[in-house]
Amino acid sequence: MFPDWMNNAPQPFDSVLVANRGEIAVRILRAAKESGLRGIAVYSDPDKGSLHVETSDDAIHLPGDNLSETYLNMDAIISAAKQSGAQAIHPGYGFLSERADFAKAVQSAGLVWIGPSPEAIETMGDKISARRRMIESEVPIIPGEELAIESDSNPLGVLASSAARVGYPLLVKASAGGGGKGMRAVYEPKMLRTEYEAAAREASAAFGDGTVYVERLLTGSRHVEIQVLCDKYGNSIHLNERDCSLQRRHQKVIEEAPSPAVTSEIRNAMGIAAIRAAKAVNYEGAGTVEFLLTSKGEFFFLEMNTRLQVEHPVTELITGVDLVQKQFEVAAGLPLGLSQVDIGITGHSIEARIYAEDVSKGFLPAIGKLAMWRPPSTPGVRMDSGFREGDEVTVDFDPMLAKLIVHAPDRPAALRRLDSALSEFIVLGVTTNVGFLRQIARSNTFSEGMVTTDFLDNVSLDEFSQPQIEDSILVSISAASNRLGMDRYSRNTNPDSSLIDEYSGHSDDPFRTLTRSFP
Amino acid sequence: MEWSIDNSGSRYIASFSETDGKLKLSKIVSDNNEQLIPDISISRDEKPGRILVELEGVTSFAHVIRSDDKWWIHFQGHIYVTNMHEPGSKDSSLSEGSLSAPMPGTILDVLVKSGQRVRQGQTLLIMEAMKMEHRIQAPKAGEVTVVHFQKGDRVDMGQNLVEIGE
Repeated sequence: MFPDWMNNAPQPFDSVLVANRGEIAVRILRAAKESGLRGIAVYSDPDKGSLHVETSDDAIHLPGDNLSETYLNMDAIISAAKQSGAQAIHPGYGFLSERADFAKAVQSAGLVWIGPSPEAIETMGDKISARRRMIESEVPIIPGEELAIESDSNPLGVLASSAARVGYPLLVKASAGGGGKGMRAVYEPKMLRTEYEAAAREASAAFGDGTVYVERLLTGSRHVEIQVLCDKYGNSIHLNERDCSLQRRHQKVIEEAPSPAVTSEIRNAMGIAAIRAAKAVNYEGAGTVEFLLTSKGEFFFLEMNTRLQVEHPVTELITGVDLVQKQFEVAAGLPLGLSQVDIGITGHSIEARIYAEDVSKGFLPAIGKLAMWRPPSTPGVRMDSGFREGDEVTVDFDPMLAKLIVHAPDRPAALRRLDSALSEFIVLGVTTNVGFLRQIARSNTFSEGMVTTDFLDNVSLDEFSQPQIEDSILVSISAASNRLGMDRYSRNTNPDSSLIDEYSGHSDDPFRTLTRSFP
Repeated sequence: MEWSIDNSGSRYIASFSETDGKLKLSKIVSDNNEQLIPDISISRDEKPGRILVELEGVTSFAHVIRSDDKWWIHFQGHIYVTNMHEPGSKDSSLSEGSLSAPMPGTILDVLVKSGQRVRQGQTLLIMEAMKMEHRIQAPKAGEVTVVHFQKGDRVDMGQNLVEIGE
């Protein structure tokens, strides 16, 4: 049974398998449910019983104990689709989302691929072909070169001469990298070797490809990206920009829309360039064209992400467009049903990425059990997460626990809402960056909208440590909690909650026998 | 019970006076010295995991939970962790001069050999955890006495990786 909105669609589907996990799988599975589609999850052993499995209508187990056997295993995922009767596959972000061979395999298996064509993914995924295509389409690009490094050659010699041509400071990126993995900044020639080796290792660990791209590092710039939506009939629109300048080691931390640095002239010019980039590869569906915006207002194409972005919610909140629903529609062959004049900007939205990490220990990933997990729930606050209270945070996957997204009439109001939402976020049992995010959001640089991509690299992080509190207060709270029996807290749904009596509290409570005797 | 805020910090012992389930702080002792104390009283709240904290006349909620020997506290919009110790117990910190794995993960590369002299901050080995690389650096200058792992080995959190002598 196809949902009503899919009537007359050339490529209708009634079910979608989400080839992903965590918050994005939950997001897409919920969208599927809402749209009347059957949502199918896949999961590996550590994800048995995780939220995305719970959210699905059907879930297929992927055997194996590493990513290449599970979430990166194309054959296993396609057979899971066959086994569950799924008619479409949504790849989410990361994993197989930007693998042209996967898109092709999905289509050859007779399934609907929710994403752009394999050719578009391939062209944009390879930095050298993307660059060439952008030059042809008159989209401005940054000075740089790609190096085809063969295993038997001397990679460092080739790299060093290329680096000399491009100029320092520069970025060494593995062609297949992404999300900050396989990408290293090199400020001086003597650091080239170590950074290159690290980039190559990280890229092959995460993505299985070791070639390198060298590009000039433009310091003091912003990372501004344009969301585009295109259908199969040549209709392309942009949904304004997102400013993702607040990064640490090229990993985004806070994103917002609109950008405090983008005027309507820049927005227009960037939007046109982004649409041109998308059209250059006959793009279909939702995609993102990333630009570097310099302090002079010039912008250069960085790359196109041929998938849904982590930070897509901020665009959804300011435009009112549900990007996942639009992806479903476009994949089914329906026209966009939106034109550029329909896209406005309502208010301001900010997303903060909650990571399980210890900021004071050099952002070391943290693990443990989310003993207490109470996200804020107030108007204008959206939480996208794949975790629940009691879930275990392990080393198996990315340390992102959740995305906290706020929406308010203007930027100052959005900042206040973010601050209070972060302060109300109760996450105990695992060290997170919540306090750090809060201090950043309160910093002058961020509240004045002056953040550039090198901001966190150039400040002392002590500036963002939370305010001091007297030891005696913490000792009092802990010692008193211990005496009050607060360590016996558990949810009534917990099967081993024998210590808890719903009526009278903990087992030491003198009234406990009363409730037993006189129920 | 004794309490500390971070493992190396001072140990504290707190005493309370109790009236109708409300605990009022009467004394905090650290290293036999009585500390200056705030005016603070704490009582249970009907919601699980929540307590009422009356600090200098202002009452607010705190959320608390115990996880192993740590107490996690959400109070006035911030999150804190304290450590609970059996009275008189020693710190469980690692033997001096050894470096332990900060995370479970895989050793990607070992850059030093036993017998090698290293300077402070020198990268000793590289490990991968959660798909990111972490460099394990020498906390002090000295001679590497033992390297416990080799490239490709999996390590658990807290395992000693390298030992450095004088």
